Amino acid sequence: MKYLDKSIIEINKLLKEKKIKPIDLVEEAYENIESSDLNAYITLTKEEAYQKAKELEDKEVDSLLFGLPIAVKDNICTKGVLTTCASHMLDNFVPIYDATVVEKINNANMIIIGKTNMDEFAMGSSSRTSYFGAPHNPWDTNKISGGSSGGSASTIAARDVLFALGSDTGGSIRQPASYTGIVGMKPTYGRVSRYGLIAFASSLDQIGPMTKNVYENALLLNVISGHDDKDLTSANKEEDFTRLIGKDVKGMKIAIPNFFVSDIVDKEIIAKLKETVKVLEKLGATVDYVDMKYLDNAVTLYQIIAMGEASSNLARFDGIRYGHSKENPEDIKDVYFGTRAEGFGKEVKRRIMVGSYLLSGENAREYFYKALSIRDDMKQEFTNIFKDYDFVIGPTTTTTAYLLTDPMDDPSKSFMDDVLVIPVNMAGIPGLNMPIGFDKNHMPIGMQIIANSFEEAKIYQLASALEKELNLELNPNAGGDNND
Amino acid sequence: MTNYIATIGVEVHVELKTKTKIFSNSKNGYGQMANSLTNVIDLGYPGTLPTLNEEVLNLAIKAATVLNCKIRKEMHFDRKNYFYPDNPKNYQITQFATPIGYDGYVEIDVDGKKKKIYIEEMHIEEDTCKSTHRGEKTLLDFNRAGVPLIEIVTKPCMSTPEEAKKYLEKLRELLLYSDISDCKMEEGSMRADANVSIRKKESDPFNTKAEIKNIGSISNVGLSIEKEIERQAKIYDAGETFKPQTRRFDDKLQDTVLMRVKETGNDYRYFPEPDIPFVIVTDERIEKVKKEIPMLPDERRLKYQELGIAEVNANKIVLNRSISDYLNNLLDEKINFKTASNLLLGDIQAYLNKNEKEITDTTLTKERFIDLVNKMDDNTLTSKNLKDILDKVLESDKSISEIMKECNVENITDDKAIKEVIKKIIAENPESVADYKAGHDRAIKYLMGQVMKETKGGVNPKMAMDILTEELN
Repeated sequence: MKYLDKSIIEINKLLKEKKIKPIDLVEEAYENIESSDLNAYITLTKEEAYQKAKELEDKEVDSLLFGLPIAVKDNICTKGVLTTCASHMLDNFVPIYDATVVEKINNANMIIIGKTNMDEFAMGSSSRTSYFGAPHNPWDTNKISGGSSGGSASTIAARDVLFALGSDTGGSIRQPASYTGIVGMKPTYGRVSRYGLIAFASSLDQIGPMTKNVYENALLLNVISGHDDKDLTSANKEEDFTRLIGKDVKGMKIAIPNFFVSDIVDKEIIAKLKETVKVLEKLGATVDYVDMKYLDNAVTLYQIIAMGEASSNLARFDGIRYGHSKENPEDIKDVYFGTRAEGFGKEVKRRIMVGSYLLSGENAREYFYKALSIRDDMKQEFTNIFKDYDFVIGPTTTTTAYLLTDPMDDPSKSFMDDVLVIPVNMAGIPGLNMPIGFDKNHMPIGMQIIANSFEEAKIYQLASALEKELNLELNPNAGGDNND
Repeated sequence: MTNYIATIGVEVHVELKTKTKIFSNSKNGYGQMANSLTNVIDLGYPGTLPTLNEEVLNLAIKAATVLNCKIRKEMHFDRKNYFYPDNPKNYQITQFATPIGYDGYVEIDVDGKKKKIYIEEMHIEEDTCKSTHRGEKTLLDFNRAGVPLIEIVTKPCMSTPEEAKKYLEKLRELLLYSDISDCKMEEGSMRADANVSIRKKESDPFNTKAEIKNIGSISNVGLSIEKEIERQAKIYDAGETFKPQTRRFDDKLQDTVLMRVKETGNDYRYFPEPDIPFVIVTDERIEKVKKEIPMLPDERRLKYQELGIAEVNANKIVLNRSISDYLNNLLDEKINFKTASNLLLGDIQAYLNKNEKEITDTTLTKERFIDLVNKMDDNTLTSKNLKDILDKVLESDKSISEIMKECNVENITDDKAIKEVIKKIIAENPESVADYKAGHDRAIKYLMGQVMKETKGGVNPKMAMDILTEELN
């Protein structure tokens, strides 16, 4: 059968002509998921998915996304479906409300297939902090699929389903997309409602689409974006993100910050990027290498702001109203200390402690408020660059995916996995990862395309032009040693 | 009193009279079934986000205006982080760095002199939930969680319990009159904390302060400050000192008791609330809100006295908001306001109290009231007769004259008729006439009483008195 390998246009045609039913796609998705051993999901929502597929049989196929299965990262609330954040703290938490993006997916008649694995509370860069064990990379199951949206990346790369949602606070969509050879977009902050996304760092969190190609990515962003009365930080902008796809990129101006090709990046990756630059130039774009300030401060700023906000966001998990609660506590202190000691994993505790420290007393001024102010400078630096350039590009990661067994005892080192993606979150602007080739071990290499706020459509324009030109074989199941 | 100088600052939390809560669309209500006015936002569920009730901003702007505060045009909210079971998110959304109002004042009367009580700042925040302790258990009612509050903080500028009480009375009056809060201390919609320290001389540095939390009534604020000053004086007199502390007022003991000693300054780890964008308050918005503010108590009192109402009555009227509003509707009319105020505070208020009604619940329209005042004023209607017809005046739509006719209380205003009655009374009471002529003033009062008795009060007293005097002489 393997309908899910076909293009979305073909699947849509089959559905319209009633040659297949949504239930066939659901069945195929579960077969795919169960036959692979990627640990990409925390919860499969079979009952709900089959029921929804049945319901859709009587409905008119009214859009390209109709009846298509989608995987949702497990930090996005789903009514009546376990939402764990990959944490023991929430391993019994069944929300009584849908996140706004989930409502939108349901209204678009897409079918949620399951909740994907991730780093606990999205804190990590290899999904190895998950209470449920790490997901695997379908290109090499001994390797990480990145994080924190590792499960979503893994299931898309493996071609289990066409669509997945991730969330990106400091690279958590783009970095795993890069490690697994898929397309992942972190939209402009405010583009997608955060209502129902369990907060990690509220001023940075953003939900985004993860897909195998650029067009499908733009389609999914069409579904999930838009203003939401429930999220005061959501932007009031509507547009069709596919509208520039297929348009010429001749004359477009691209900047590569020298920091992005400095010696922190693997040579093989820089070489692949330079090859890609040639392709872009062939397409008529111009590429300049530029100096940009603050990029090398981004990780430090991120650690201060994200951990500070996280320490407050995660305070609500106290065992009183929902989630894990210590049994037979002695007093209220024991409810707090016991619940949080048992419920949170090591990395989460570490970040809460560091975050609390950074906001304490004089430290707030010394670190947190200073970081907020430098963040503004960094955003300004990007604004300035975009006066002269359409895009900033660079590698998404400094290396390709590494082994699941690599040590994770140095917490600050794991932030280095995100050193190239974090500046985008700090500036609140959109960034997309797309695969541009493979390393010598045939692990995917990703490139990041960054544009000014609310210019996602333009990013898709460049990305799709490049995707078409590169024409890579990106299905790990295809064997694919021919496209090295 | 002691021979120390006290320094007192007061912090007041006031619940705003909005339809819904500050950050969610749950109803803002009191006295409902526990946890019936809550949703996932009030309960701090994961993934939920606050929205901002614009009505709260308007009321806060209004409060800042009546408290003579400067209004911040650009502000944000902050998170105050602390763990407590009544704090659902374990952070409270408040305004720490950019309070909406600052540098204000309220004027009070101290021994006939005006004194300004300076307001350091006032800010918007959310209320916590209500916890009730039952034996080993603590019950939480989240109906109050997310109810909008403003906190109003004075400078440490008061020096007596009396001033603190007057400040609170004034504050309450202002907030009530501008429809910001119903200010019911017994229901917790107004809560006061007092900071008290004492020292020997003005030139001495401030001493350690104690904070008395959540005092349940304005009189208890006075009492608790008084007790606290005595307590601190005793300590210093004994050559001892004490640590900064939080105390509460115990109703049974009628004294303050220790809650906790403040070991170190609290570390609330404030930072800007990322879920709520910066708020911009435009001049247009401020102007629009200002227009909604009705005439405030001080201005009312002044106005009433200008119109001839006695000070004591002017004060009494202002104590009753609906009566005062009723009177304000008449300010441009040419009537005797003294009579009007006597009517409102006398028979009408008695009727309203007895029947548990507001004046707006009666049939006394502006026009009928004016008619009533004029009739009283020119003695067409006596106060005795008014008592007989008052129920009808306030319950039926008929004109005052019609009611008077129906009830047979029309005054004899005909000279001749009055003269006849008076002649009769004079003839019947020769002794009193003799007494009057001998210079006993009392006698004329007696005779007048007889006239009223004879006419069953149905005579215009002024006219009767004039005729009586004339006939006697």
